[in-house]
Amino acid sequence: MIAPRTTLALLLFAPLAFFAAFFLAPMAVVALASFTTDEGGLTFAHYARILLDQYHWDVLWVTFRIALATTALCLLIGFPLAWYLVRIVRWRSWRRACVILIVVPLFTSNIVRSFGWMVLLGRTGLVNQGLMGMGLTERPIRFLGTETGILIGMVYILMPFVVLSVGNALAKIDTALEDASADLGVGPARTFWFVTLPLCLPGAVSGAIMVFALAVSAYVTPALLSGGQITVFSMLIFQQYSSVFDFHYGGALSVTLLVLTLVLVTLAGRVGERGRRAA
Amino acid sequence: MPPLLSIDAVSKNFAAHRALVEVDLAVEAGEFIALLGPSGCGKTTLLRCIAGFLTPDAGRIRIEDEDITRAPPYRRPLNTVFQSYALFPHMSVADNVAYGPRRAGVGRREAQARAREALALVGLEEMGTRLPRALSGGQQQRVALARAIVNRPKLLLLDEPLSALDLKLRRRMQIELKHIQEKLGIAFIFVTHDQEEAMAMADRIVVMHAGRIEQTGTPEAIYRAPATRFVAEFVGEPNLIPLEPAGPGRARLALGGAELPAAAGMRFAMARPEDIVLVDGPVPDDLATFPGIVEEVLAIGPLTTLFVRCGVLLLKVARLGMSGAELTPGSTVTIGLRPAALHLIAE
Repeated sequence: MIAPRTTLALLLFAPLAFFAAFFLAPMAVVALASFTTDEGGLTFAHYARILLDQYHWDVLWVTFRIALATTALCLLIGFPLAWYLVRIVRWRSWRRACVILIVVPLFTSNIVRSFGWMVLLGRTGLVNQGLMGMGLTERPIRFLGTETGILIGMVYILMPFVVLSVGNALAKIDTALEDASADLGVGPARTFWFVTLPLCLPGAVSGAIMVFALAVSAYVTPALLSGGQITVFSMLIFQQYSSVFDFHYGGALSVTLLVLTLVLVTLAGRVGERGRRAA
Repeated sequence: MPPLLSIDAVSKNFAAHRALVEVDLAVEAGEFIALLGPSGCGKTTLLRCIAGFLTPDAGRIRIEDEDITRAPPYRRPLNTVFQSYALFPHMSVADNVAYGPRRAGVGRREAQARAREALALVGLEEMGTRLPRALSGGQQQRVALARAIVNRPKLLLLDEPLSALDLKLRRRMQIELKHIQEKLGIAFIFVTHDQEEAMAMADRIVVMHAGRIEQTGTPEAIYRAPATRFVAEFVGEPNLIPLEPAGPGRARLALGGAELPAAAGMRFAMARPEDIVLVDGPVPDDLATFPGIVEEVLAIGPLTTLFVRCGVLLLKVARLGMSGAELTPGSTVTIGLRPAALHLIAE
């Protein structure tokens, strides 16, 4: 069965056109703006303004610190959760219920969920009431306006990505491999380290990259939970585009964040690849 | 000296299903045992109990003098070749084979040397740097074998290791496995549902059915003198001729009415298809003959099987080569068998 050439061309062209119109074109507009002045001349002044200013580096550092911590915590909590879902739950309906519980929050808006955390984490919120009720703290802990607060919200929102991708990798591992390792005289802990973990690594890396990319560019959650005390990079970009209307400077900020994120993600991918090969 | 492996009254249930019912088995060092039976007979369950992936509900499993009934798999001095091979996909072939020694604390160099030696034994010394998925099914099977024997266990368990291979390759691997087993002197417990495979390789065959051992014996004993009708029918093709009681210690064949000595309770006389002959010319004294009508002729080259109707019985008669292939359905023949050579079966 051979499709006529025109049909084939159309099939190839349609996704290409979609990709160009909705992805490449906006990117090009942003990138172009970042290298030009209002008069249309070529300039690197916007980048110089960013890279030579300590303030930007401070904000970048905070942004990446929060994103890295979010990624680490998501992996740390998401891995056991995925393990529980795939390996421990025997009852199918319960597993399905758990997966729905994990996925459904993704259908609601970030804003709603972040507001939820604002209520929970407030001075008289449920979290502080619970901690004080259990006698773990005497005075309410300040969560809002701290990196801890932002971290809690971000981990909550981005966790499903790790659970789903690690769970998927775990479910694909033939348990006969673990049997084989045990059969060769290797106990459960070392079997996990030498067999199960390396085989989950691609799933964990892809989950981590997703979480990291989303955490670096997150705006709503940090904005709502920071209470104006903490600035992350996406807030700077938002300011330029929505209040200052400086599309050139805003574009340069966007491209800076994008390039740095890509560099880090590529490095992480390399490390994951090497880890898998060495194991 | 206790046997290498002794299994005493081992039972295992899965919910209401009785997978193993009081199984007893002793395996001597260097023996090649085939666990033979249809799917669901409990042979794989028994193997997994020996390997430690299942714990019996009752009974004891010992290796030499050590009770291993409840020992985890990683504390048992035996190794397994898995049906799916279970090669680690993220490791090279050599690393797969070196995995056991390496994790047991053997140095990298020594472990790699042992892996090379084991790979050479299965004829794959050139493949060490490849990944398992780059190998053919037969090669993967060899790697699984090399990985399982690299530590020179006294006992090797093989869970239908050849079932994924095509017929020709399977035949070759059967011979090769047997040679490797003899060379290393390792006792093999080989699970299979293929009776020819069991006959071709094993020193002793253990026929299982519905969670119990039906019969244990040499391939010849299993084939010539099956203990039950199930064994007779599962291993080879039997002609079962009903017996009628004919006074104490004697029975009468339902076919032709010849009398023969028989213990009480014997219900069938078994003749293998090659035990029945076509009579053409003078009849020897010890041969009982019957007229029959050919119903079907099945000539496959090395063997020709005739289906001959004798009253209510349909007998299978096997002849070497293409002799008898010229007979057409409907033709009348005289068949003969030696009543004294029949094997009697109670149930």
